Parts: sequence; C-alpha cells; structure tokens
Amino acid sequence: MALEINGCDDVTVWIDETALKAIEALQRPGKPDLLERIVGLFKSESPKTLASLVVGIDSMDMEMVRVAAHTLKSSSAYVGALELSERLKELEHAAHEQNFPACIALGDSVEDIFADSCTALDQRMSKSA
Amino acid sequence: MVDDSTQAVQMVVSSLLRKKPIVLHVDDDIASLMMAEGALEDAGFEVVQAANGQEAIDSFKKYDPDIIIMDAVMPIMDGFDAISGIRQLSGGEHVPILMITGLDDLDSITRAYDEGATDFLTKPINFFILPHRVQYMLRSKLTADELRSSQAKLDNAQRIARLGNWEWCLSSNDFFWSCEFGRVLCFEEHTSVESWSDFLHHIDEPDRSNVQLIAEQSVEERQAFNVEFSIVSWVDGSVRRLRLEAEPHCQENGDCSHMLGTVQDITERINAQKQIHDLAYYDLVTGLPNRALLSEQLSYTLKLSKRNDSKFSVLFLDLDHFKQVNDTLGHDAGDELLQQVASRLTSVVRETDMISGGDDDDSESRHTVARLGGDEFVVLLGVINRAEDAARVAERIAQAVGMPYKVGNNTVSVTSTIGISIYPADGDDFESMMKSADVAMYYAKESGRNGYQFYSRSIHEQSLTRFSLEADLRLAIETNQLTIAYQPKIDMETGELSGVEALTRWVHPQKGIMSPSTFIPLAEETGLIVPLGRWVLRQACEQMQRWVKSGWPPMVMAVNCSSVQFTKSNVIEDINEAISVSGLDPKYLEIELTESLLLQDGEKGIQILKDMKELGIQVAIDDFGTGFSSLSYLKRLPVDKLKIDKSFVDDLATDSGDAAIVTAIITLSHNLNLTVVAEGVETQEQFDILRGFKCNEAQGYLISCPLEIDNLETWMNNYHARNLDKASGM
Repeated sequence: MALEINGCDDVTVWIDETALKAIEALQRPGKPDLLERIVGLFKSESPKTLASLVVGIDSMDMEMVRVAAHTLKSSSAYVGALELSERLKELEHAAHEQNFPACIALGDSVEDIFADSCTALDQRMSKSA
Repeated sequence: MVDDSTQAVQMVVSSLLRKKPIVLHVDDDIASLMMAEGALEDAGFEVVQAANGQEAIDSFKKYDPDIIIMDAVMPIMDGFDAISGIRQLSGGEHVPILMITGLDDLDSITRAYDEGATDFLTKPINFFILPHRVQYMLRSKLTADELRSSQAKLDNAQRIARLGNWEWCLSSNDFFWSCEFGRVLCFEEHTSVESWSDFLHHIDEPDRSNVQLIAEQSVEERQAFNVEFSIVSWVDGSVRRLRLEAEPHCQENGDCSHMLGTVQDITERINAQKQIHDLAYYDLVTGLPNRALLSEQLSYTLKLSKRNDSKFSVLFLDLDHFKQVNDTLGHDAGDELLQQVASRLTSVVRETDMISGGDDDDSESRHTVARLGGDEFVVLLGVINRAEDAARVAERIAQAVGMPYKVGNNTVSVTSTIGISIYPADGDDFESMMKSADVAMYYAKESGRNGYQFYSRSIHEQSLTRFSLEADLRLAIETNQLTIAYQPKIDMETGELSGVEALTRWVHPQKGIMSPSTFIPLAEETGLIVPLGRWVLRQACEQMQRWVKSGWPPMVMAVNCSSVQFTKSNVIEDINEAISVSGLDPKYLEIELTESLLLQDGEKGIQILKDMKELGIQVAIDDFGTGFSSLSYLKRLPVDKLKIDKSFVDDLATDSGDAAIVTAIITLSHNLNLTVVAEGVETQEQFDILRGFKCNEAQGYLISCPLEIDNLETWMNNYHARNLDKASGM
C-alpha cells in the first residue's frame, strides 16, 4: 500500500505506508509519538545532510557526497520515502564510482524529491492526526 | 597468560552480576537510534548510544557493553575502524559486534568480517527482529565466555599442576597439545609440534626410543601407559623430569583411533622425595650416610659376600677426647671438626677404592663411610681379601685423622681409636658385625687410645664378663649388697686415733669378695659411681654422727670422691645433703680427691674445692706425688691435707730417692700449713722413718686393715686400752 502525491508536474512521490506503520508499531505507551518525532527529525536534520551533499558536489568531494547520500538514503527509507531513497542510493553509488557527471545529474533532482517527500509526509501526518 | 584467563573469568562474572545486559548502538542516523532504543529496552536491554566510531570506542571503555550494534558508514570514524579499535582494547577481543550494512553491499560485509565483526544485518533494519537477533548473539557470547572461562580454569589448573594434555590422532599422526604441555616440555616460542614424531624429536635418546616403544606397545595392547623421561630446559639448562601418561581410545570395530594423554613436570616432587630420603639416610652435620643407610648398605654387602663367599670389614671409629673440643671450643667448632674428620675418612676410603679398584667390577664404590652420631664413625669396607687389608686402612685412617686440624683460629689435634670386625668370623648380620667392632674399639680404648684392635673371642668374653659384672653391680647397689669398711689413721706424734677412711666393700653372692680395683673403675665408666658415691657419703656421715653422739674421741671421717662424681654430678649438693640429713658437724668430714683429678679440671676444680671449704669440711689430696702438680699450683689449692702415695712409702727404708721425695713433700706441706698423711704403712721401720720426718699421720696395715663397724669398735677399744697402757707405762 502506498500513498501517491502529486507534487510537481512531472514527479509522483510515493510514501511507503508499511514503513510508517512499522514505526507506529514501535510506539511505546506513555512515550512521545515516535512517528511524529522520526518524521520531524527527518524534516529538520535532512536539510543539513542535503546541504553537505550539495557542498560535496560543488567542491567535487566524492567521499562527502557518498557519506551524505548514504545517511539520507537510510533515513528516507525509514520514513517510507522510497523514491528519494532510491535516488540517493544511485547517487551514493555514483560517488563511490567517482562518476562526477552522474552525481551532478542525480544531485539536482534529489532536492526536489526531498521537498515532495516532505510534503507527502506532512499530508500523511495531518491525516493520521 | 594469567592475565588473559583471569580476564575471561571476570568477564563471565561481571556479565552474570549485571541485571540488564548493555547494548551499545552506534549509528549516525538519529532516527535509527530512536527506533531501535524502544525495541531493545522492551526486550530488557539497557541501551547506550553513539553517533560515530570514535564515540563508540569511548563508550565501550566507559560502559563495557555486552554487545555492540555498529553502523558501517559514519562520519569522523566509520564502523570498520571502530571495530578494529575495539578489538584491540582490553575486554574488546570477544565482545559480539553486529554490523549493519547495506542490503547489497557485499564489500562492507566482507570487510566487516575481516575487521572482526561477529555477525551482520542489512538495512533497512527490522526493529522488531533486532532485539531477538541481539539476544541470540548474547547467548552465544555467554556460551563462548563460559567456554573461555572453563578453558582459563583448565589452563590455570594445568599451570599450577605443571601438567599439560595432548592428543595424538593415530590415522593422521596429528598431534594436539595444550599451552601447559608446551611449557612443561620447555618448547621455545613458536615451536611447531604437529605430529607425534615432532613431539618425540624433543626428547633425547635413550629416553626417546623408550617412550616410543612404550607408546607403540600401549596401542598394540590397548593398555594405558606411563613413562618418565628427562629433558634439558633451554631457559636455564636445568634438567627436568617429566612423566607422560596416556590411554588409547578405540573405535567400535576395535581399532585404536587416537590416544589421549598428559605430561607432568615431576622435578619438584622428585627433588622433595630426594630431600626426604636424604634427611632419613644422611647425617646433617657431615653429609655422610647415617646409621639407617649404613644398615642398608651393610645388609647389601652381606648378601653379596654370602653369594661371592667373600670377606668384608666394619671399622668402628671413635675420636679420642672429642668432648674436650666441644667443651672448650663450642659445638660449632665441634661440628666443624667432625666435618673435617668426615672429609679425611672419605678421602682415605676413596684412595682405598683406587687401590683395590682393579679387581672390583662394580663401578660404584663398595665402601661406605657413615657417622653414627657424636664422635662415632663407621667405615664399611665392602670387600677385602684378608684381615690385613682392614688393618692397613685402619692405619691410614689413624694417620689421616691424627693430623692437626684448623678449626676457626685454633689448631686442634685429635686421635682415633678403631675397632675392626671381619665377616664372616665376627658376625653374620648388621647388629653382630657392629657390636663386634664396637667391642673391639672399646677394648682398644681400654688398652690406651689412638690405635686399632681386631675383634677376638677373648675380647668378646671380656666384654661379656664386664657386661654381666655391670648388671651385678647395678643390682648390688639396689639391693644393698655393698658395705663400708673403715680403715683407721693415727696421729704419729700422740699415737691417738685421728680418723678413719670409709672404703666400699662388695661381697658378690657367687664370686665372693670383689676387689675395689675391679668394680670402682667399672662404676666410674658406667656412671654408677654417682649413686654409689652418694650412698657411701650418706652412710659414712650417719656412722660418724653415731660415733660422735656415743662420745668417741674426736676424729675425722674421710670419704673418697671419684673424678666422675667431681665433674659430672653436683658433689657439693650431695655433701651438703649428707651433712644435713645426718646432722654431722662438717668439721668431722674429710673428702679425699686424687691429685690427677684436680689437674684435669683446673679452675673449675679449684672452685669446687673452695665450695667444699665453705661447707666447713676438710679436703685431702689423695695419692700425692703420683701426679705432676707444680708446687705453685699446690699453693693455690685450698686443701688441708696431703696423703703421700703408698708407692713412696713401700721402699722408704731401702730407696734413698723415695726417702728424699717424702722428706721434701713433708717439708713443703708443713711450709704450706698442710697436714701430711702417709698411706700404706706396713712395717714398724717405715713408721719410725716417717715419724722421724715429722709426718703427721699414718694409715696402713701396721695400724689396721679396713674393718667392719663392729670390728672397728672392738679394735678401737683395744687400741685405746693399749695406748693408755703405753701412756701409763711411760
């Protein structure tokens, strides 16, 4: 099951509901809402990683790009942003392969997909609230 | 080694003591940490988090976690370097580490394994499954810890026991062994021993062949075996004694598949056993064999001699006057002298070995030098051709022992007396051979020290007689067979009775009257003189007191004191007791001491004389003139009387030399205010000469023989009457 959101004209972002359910299942009674914290953390922390990714591409520091892509890849996968996670995985691979042009191409789309994913997550969160 | 094993034990203990196992979760993704935290805590773990490899190492040192979940890719320090760092930390070698990698990241999985990760998990992590995975790993970890702890205990036990274990696979010839096995066999570091033959290679011949043979036999016969062998330690060159024990293990078809065994270093045990043996069989002062070992050697010699129909000899050696060295220079000097004597005896015997070595096919000496204790040594000549061989050795010993010794700063000389017994003539067992040599030695002493004496039948008989006489004398003292006779002394000027000398008489129930010259020396040798002397003193004092009370004219009771009493017992105490028990006024008691006795004991003798004078008794020097007292010495002696020896009196009438000596003694004595008594006066002529010399008193058969109390009283009454007659006649 997936949530489909139309962000931009040419992009369709899916949020994997299974991932979100998995996080909800980890919720312990009497503790702060875990899903909300994870999503909030994703939204607040990811821009820093994205910025580091951009700096990496601009300065052609492939290791910096690889680590940033890897980090964001994991966290986006946990919140069900599979599109973003998939793109970051490609980017991580490209950086590992020292494929600079591929990094530039992939890097451009990542920021957009991240924004769309955040929007989709917000919608999902507001729905569940 | 000790540190590692101790640590392994501590790890298990600390894990067991801890209520909640600690999980260190390392990930730079905060969301991942948050999701795992709840799941792990719900499963009963305490969670510690770190955001990168460096933090992971710091947290490991701080929290000593039971398990680590480690992300691979992290900033600052990645998971691979962190694992490598933790593995190098104390306690980090064995902590289980679960590596988190990408699903298709085979490189990371391989690298994680190489760095020492225990297991891996791919992303995205299923946080429901994660706690179960951790629990499984933790259980394995505890099992591994227990195994390590058990191994450590085994290693410790093996180390303490100096015992290693090994296994030999018979089909492959593979050989496995524990750490302690390597240490016991003194393997150098990195020694490669992978097969049974590699192991055998570490044992020197002929032990190697022996071990191999016994092990092969054990496989063939399916029997356990044990064998001892020696190796030389490369560390310090010491020889170690090892004991190998093993048993073969067989398959169902009966074929032996492998052999399990141990090896133990038994050097210390063997040394301890040797020490115990040495203590039991060797003399501590000289290091020579003691009586027990001598007894074994002699029994062995006896067997050989019986079988070969050969002779052997026992030389019983006693040092003359050793006691004086001990008394004057102290026991340490005495011990040192004994050591030097032992060493000389050993050299003489070694020389004897070399001389007789030609016909002796035994490589070891068949002669033994042993110390029985005190100043007694025994030389066992294991094989001799004739009695003269023993005599020659005895002569050599006497010569070697007689040379002066340097003991501390003193030069000491001792001589030895040796008794010799020869097998089979003089005995056929340990006791009889020793006894014969001892008796011969005693006889040699009797006939003047510093010599040797063969045992003979006549010596044997003499010793038997002496032995039985000793027993009789003991009985005589106990059953009052002894009596006292009193020999009168008279004042030569007035003719009046001046005193009596108490003399012991022994009438043996079978042998009749025993001469004092027989039984007094015997009593002195055996120490019986002490109770005997005490008894005489007591009897004499009581008798004198009775005479004093019955109103007899004043006279003095003289009692002899032997050198043994004088030196070995408290004679002052005995005299004091006799006086106080009898109630006798001490002035009526006189103690007679020989001149030689006083010379023997020097200053100590003078002190005893002074003590006697303190008691108020009189002291006389007996047998004067036979010793070698210097005149100045005589001046220092606090004595009252001198008794001129009978030998001078005997020839007084015919020998002008004796007469001169007697005159000199009398003159000297009078100058020193001493009373002079002449002993053994038997003729009127002697009496007259002595009176002419102004001798004070006379004693002898001319006056009276020694008399029993009744006879003495009769004699006295008659003598008084005679004297009165003479007086009235004048």
